[in-house]
Amino acid sequence: MNNIINEIREKARQLLAEGKVDVVIGYEKGSLPLKATPCFVHSPEGVDSLIWDETCENNLAAYAAKTPGKKAIITKGCDSRALAVLLQENQLVRDDLFIIGVSCSGVIDQRNILAEVGEILEAKISDGKISVKGMEGDKEYLFAEVKDATCQTCRYPNPVMEDLHIGETIEVAQDAPAFADVVALEEKSASDRQDYFKEQMSKCIRCYACRNACPLCYCQECFVDCNSPRWLTGGVNRAENLFFQAGRVLHLAGRCVDCGACTRACPQGVDIRALNRKMTKDVYVMYNHEAGIGEEGKPALNEYTTNDPEQFLVKE
Amino acid sequence: MIMGEIQVDAENKKYEPKIAAFLCNWCSYAGADLAGVGRVQYPATIRTIRVPCSGRINPLYVLKAMANGADGVLVSGCHPGDCHYISGNYVARRKFALIKSLLSHVGLEEDRVNFSWVSAAEGIRFAEVVKGVTERVSALGPNNGIFKVDDGGAADE
Amino acid sequence: MSQNKIGSVLIVGAGIAGIQAALDLAESGYLVHLVEESSAIGGTMPMLDKTFPTNDCSMCILSPKLVECGRHLNVRTYTNSQVVKTEGEAGNFKVTIKQKARYIDLEKCTGCGACAEACPVKVDDEFNQGLGKRKAAFKQYSQAFPNAYGIDEKNCLYQSRGKAKGKEICMKCVKACQAGAIDHHMEDKEFEVEVGSMILNPGFKIFDASSLDYYGYGKIKSVITSLEFERLLSASGPFDGHLVRPFDKKEPQRIAWIQCVGSRNAKIGNNYCSGVCCMYAIKEAVIAKEHSHIPVDTTIFYMDMRTPGKDFEKYYNNAKNQQGVNFIRSRVYEVTEATDDSGDAVIRYSTEDGQILSDQFDLVVLSVGLEPGDSSKELAKLLDLQVNKYGFAELEPLSGVNTSKEGIFAAGAFSGPRDIPETVMQASAAAGAASALLAEERGTLVSEKEYPPEMDVAGDVIRTGVFICHCGVNIGSVVNVPSVVEYAKTLPTVAYATDKIYACSQDAQASIKALISEQKLNRIVVSSCSPRTHEPLFQETLKEAGLNAHLFDMANIRDQCSWVHMNEPEKATEKAKDLTKLAIVRASMQQQTQPIFMDMNHAALVIGGGVAGMTSALSLADQGYEVHLVEKESALGGVARRFSTGFRGEDMKAFVAGLIEKVSNHSNVKLHVGVGIKDVGGFLGNFTTTLENGEQIAHGVALLTIGGQEYKPNEYLYGQDERVMTQIEMDEALYNHDAKVENAKNFVFIQCVGSRTEENPYCSRTCCTKSVKLALKVKKKNPGANVFVLYRDMRTYSYFEEDYEEARRIGIIFVRYSENAKPVVNKEGDTIVVTVTDHVLDRPLEIETDVLCLAAAIKAPADGKKLSKWFKIPLNADGFFLEAHMKLRPVDFSTDGVFMAGIAHSPKNMEEVIAQAKAAAGRAGVALSKDQVESAGLNAFVNKRKCTACGTCEAVCSAKAITVDKENRVAVVNDALCKGCGACASSCRCGALSLRGCTNEQIVEMLNSL
Repeated sequence: MNNIINEIREKARQLLAEGKVDVVIGYEKGSLPLKATPCFVHSPEGVDSLIWDETCENNLAAYAAKTPGKKAIITKGCDSRALAVLLQENQLVRDDLFIIGVSCSGVIDQRNILAEVGEILEAKISDGKISVKGMEGDKEYLFAEVKDATCQTCRYPNPVMEDLHIGETIEVAQDAPAFADVVALEEKSASDRQDYFKEQMSKCIRCYACRNACPLCYCQECFVDCNSPRWLTGGVNRAENLFFQAGRVLHLAGRCVDCGACTRACPQGVDIRALNRKMTKDVYVMYNHEAGIGEEGKPALNEYTTNDPEQFLVKE
Repeated sequence: MIMGEIQVDAENKKYEPKIAAFLCNWCSYAGADLAGVGRVQYPATIRTIRVPCSGRINPLYVLKAMANGADGVLVSGCHPGDCHYISGNYVARRKFALIKSLLSHVGLEEDRVNFSWVSAAEGIRFAEVVKGVTERVSALGPNNGIFKVDDGGAADE
Repeated sequence: MSQNKIGSVLIVGAGIAGIQAALDLAESGYLVHLVEESSAIGGTMPMLDKTFPTNDCSMCILSPKLVECGRHLNVRTYTNSQVVKTEGEAGNFKVTIKQKARYIDLEKCTGCGACAEACPVKVDDEFNQGLGKRKAAFKQYSQAFPNAYGIDEKNCLYQSRGKAKGKEICMKCVKACQAGAIDHHMEDKEFEVEVGSMILNPGFKIFDASSLDYYGYGKIKSVITSLEFERLLSASGPFDGHLVRPFDKKEPQRIAWIQCVGSRNAKIGNNYCSGVCCMYAIKEAVIAKEHSHIPVDTTIFYMDMRTPGKDFEKYYNNAKNQQGVNFIRSRVYEVTEATDDSGDAVIRYSTEDGQILSDQFDLVVLSVGLEPGDSSKELAKLLDLQVNKYGFAELEPLSGVNTSKEGIFAAGAFSGPRDIPETVMQASAAAGAASALLAEERGTLVSEKEYPPEMDVAGDVIRTGVFICHCGVNIGSVVNVPSVVEYAKTLPTVAYATDKIYACSQDAQASIKALISEQKLNRIVVSSCSPRTHEPLFQETLKEAGLNAHLFDMANIRDQCSWVHMNEPEKATEKAKDLTKLAIVRASMQQQTQPIFMDMNHAALVIGGGVAGMTSALSLADQGYEVHLVEKESALGGVARRFSTGFRGEDMKAFVAGLIEKVSNHSNVKLHVGVGIKDVGGFLGNFTTTLENGEQIAHGVALLTIGGQEYKPNEYLYGQDERVMTQIEMDEALYNHDAKVENAKNFVFIQCVGSRTEENPYCSRTCCTKSVKLALKVKKKNPGANVFVLYRDMRTYSYFEEDYEEARRIGIIFVRYSENAKPVVNKEGDTIVVTVTDHVLDRPLEIETDVLCLAAAIKAPADGKKLSKWFKIPLNADGFFLEAHMKLRPVDFSTDGVFMAGIAHSPKNMEEVIAQAKAAAGRAGVALSKDQVESAGLNAFVNKRKCTACGTCEAVCSAKAITVDKENRVAVVNDALCKGCGACASSCRCGALSLRGCTNEQIVEMLNSL
């Protein structure tokens, strides 16, 4: 890791010093343990605050379009896929981007740790081990134990496009994506699934942290906030929460790059990914499409073939 | 009593579902007209909203219908290849497949939301589709689905 | 030619050809008199179930045209009518039309069908090929225009028995008709119209299969015609689309088709190929399999499988390889009734290798050919037109549509068997030709309706007027209309509600108009029948009352309520209330919408200066438009310069030279020869094309006629020995008296070189005929020559069958080879030896030849891709231009204002190229005739504040009407191109796009009111 961050800082410094970019978007240490926070470095002097480790969980593509000027972005595999979709959707100009690619072996999902040790007071990462001091006790974890679910099945740890690669690339068996999590839910009965999502949706407080974390939620006005027409009546309740979440994943269908940022951002622990993953699986199975795996290509719903499957038709 | 008819009990009025039906102007709406011309009888359960093309169906319409408590939704367009606008139904088809799949994944009853292709020549088939959808929605009973807003939302937790 | 031209056109026959020609002409400023023998327009197409090769529903694609034609202000339709006399000359004809009494007043009939219900007489229904019954008071089919019934005087009890005796027999229809539309005393009438030109498309009749008794038709119940089979398949047919045998309702499991019934039969004087039967039989076999609930075996007995049209070969291969349709190359001897009392039929036939076999089928379908109808023959006689020996009209060579009389044009099967796209092409071509003839009279006879100035009601308090129709008893007997009226009165925005016996009647319209002004109504809702048929009528009333036509909605409480819930009056009433409420909600949120007008540049750009391009250019120039003709080669003429003669012996060199002279001297044509195109931008009405020399051309439409290319074979020693040549090269060699061919004794032709292969799966259409013509030429010149044609299927469709027959008669030897045993060509010393396996003898033949002529494929043009990008137009899998609709829009692209013709669309012969070129010019002329580009205005629109420029709308728009303005980061709708489908609006996540008349707000509010 140390070599990598040195190289990142060096490159960032060079890009800023040479005036090739106006800003470097990367990560710095956050105010909470085990959570890095996005940072925007505007001068060569600032690059030393940049960090790179398993706490760099944000999808920085979410900031790319909102940041004016020429920018360099520290980019993980999933970040690069989001950038690709944003490019496909005219949200970015390729020439304004300098993609500093870094292969990513996964980020930490704090939820399990929180459940065991309570609020984290202090944490240290070394040699693939994470030592945590918590309100309700201390514990040491192997990284694999606390790796985010989405990272565990990640097929794109290496950026799909980049201007420069830092560090080694990670080899990954490029066979078909695994959807064991989706299948597990699909195999449950409809009423079990309904119960599951009722429970999840009753946790949602509609803070929209998921929407804000998502690099591909960039509408000027989200349909939930629209007054004319009013899609939702305005209450925060289980049914309307589901309307919001279902509407959101339908909007992300064929675009979602499965970075998991929405779920990690959720303060309530809502299993948002369960919805997105279902759509990702369907789009893959039905249309052999994966979002943002290259600069070329289109979101799945922007195209069609004349023989797309039709299992959804009414039974006769 | 007739087979398959829902039991009428003294206290409960017989349940008649209300189904929001989005029909494309050029094929399915014409097919529905043809059913009428042929006097093909079917249940009086659908409330038709005519749209130019099945491609006009915003996925949120389906969610909205469910949220408003419609007992069912029927969306019908031209058969693939017949679209008056060349590819509206192809564009729609991917949306429909995903809506259907997502709704069933979150545990909405499979038969609440229905999609079909009915051509301008398929009057009888249109009636059959409505009959089938009505039967299945009737069997499910009123929409107490997880989208329905006025069921109290979180109240049952 | 008359000096006193008249700006109107007579069209005889209102099938798809007549309808297309009528619409093209009426839309480009001519008054059309459309004469139809039967009681409704539509012709044969409404009888068909699906259409090949796309399996589109025939009725679905036709019915919008029926409505458009039926309603057009400048198309006067005369049903039950015939032309009985004509005089005059091109430019000015007087035509006498005889219209038979319908006994039902078209003005009053509402199409409700009460008369037919009351009528006691049941007769065989011609529309269903006699497979079902109709009444003596009848409408041909439910979507028919006029949407009115008629009385068949032969079968009506009063007309046939009572009238003569003065007795009031039956009269049940009169009692049943609440509209008072029935008039049994109506009389035939004759009247005269003056027209400048005529277009004849009286269609065809099918061959009477009972005249060939060995097929058993009429004797064996399980033997039916292909048209009867269409009705069996049709969802609106006599068995509601259940595929059953008509006589015992058994679902057939084994169905056979017998091809060439009444075609390719010199014995009965039908020595021509009907051209359409192979494809329709394959289609019927495929659809039968799809249609039936049980597995169905389908077998087609054929001589040659003739699928030479665009994408036909693919359809055939798919039927054979994927759908499992059996194809048996055979001669059928006879069809007999099975002896096992099953009602089945047995086909006895011989296979290619001479075996005689019998097979039993549940149903045998005879693929009957096309013949000129009796009325076609009469028409030709009346007008003294030249006909061929079969009775089809003889067209002037290389004219596409000209009959032997100036100013009289033909379209469709009048001049020979034709499929739908060819018919539609000829119709547009004939319309273009008539338009060119009468160019100076364009716009002189058409009328445009005048309306009072429109009231501005934007911002006014919404006052909705609601009219609930009883439709006689059609609605009122089921739905409690007064209670719907009372309910409507309670709804928001409703200022007035009332009922009407017939909301569509003249007096009801007058009353609605009066109420709009008395009650200050600014939204109107009518709950009655289908908006698909009646919306325009009510919108007309709104406009006459000075109200914007879009401040309106309809609820369909008849076709979709009272008629389908006849036994549930209460529920029907509830539904009628809800539907009325939905309409009120939608109407109350409707905005005044104006049609959108954009400038029209009246010049045309034609790209490609071959025969197609020059023909299109001339036709447009004759229509009075400025034409820019661009040819990248240094000379005009295209590949046709290399041809010696046409398929009917025409002198091609002289023809091409004549065309070049005409375009060069035409004052409306500007030539740009020897220069290519650099860039194209714009859209209908406003294109700018930049040539390679920097010159910029502004034009309103574009015609792409860039031809194709001949395949350069890399097989059969081509390029290695100069005695091996392509058809074009052989034609040139013969023309130039080249010693290679001049002195040759032995000739071999190999067909399908580069066609019907894995890489090039389509058929090149013209090569069979071309080889036969070349073979005839050498054989006739030197009767001692040995001439062999090695073929897979001889596709000498239409009259070219005569040449094929003659070729065999004079001793040209035809040897069939199969796809996986292609001929082998070797050189033994200096001798070319062709080896081929003969299927009849089942052994290899070795032929030594002096000339080997290869029927090289016609390939798509190399520049197709460039044009595809510039004009945003699609190509098919083979690289040819893809039209907007394979059947009904054969020269239009889906992008408005861009048209195609010639080989670049698909391989075809010169005559067909010319017809298509004239059709493209006809269609382009329709667009150019408009002063402005108009769009109804129910278009997509963008909320700039919400738009994120993501491009989804642009991706899903098939009309290419939306583009993202990347600089301003907003999507822009081109109103000239938008068709109003709304796919963009439903795909827009940001809610930035919506559709006028169907906004998200309206739909949500409707859902809220459910």
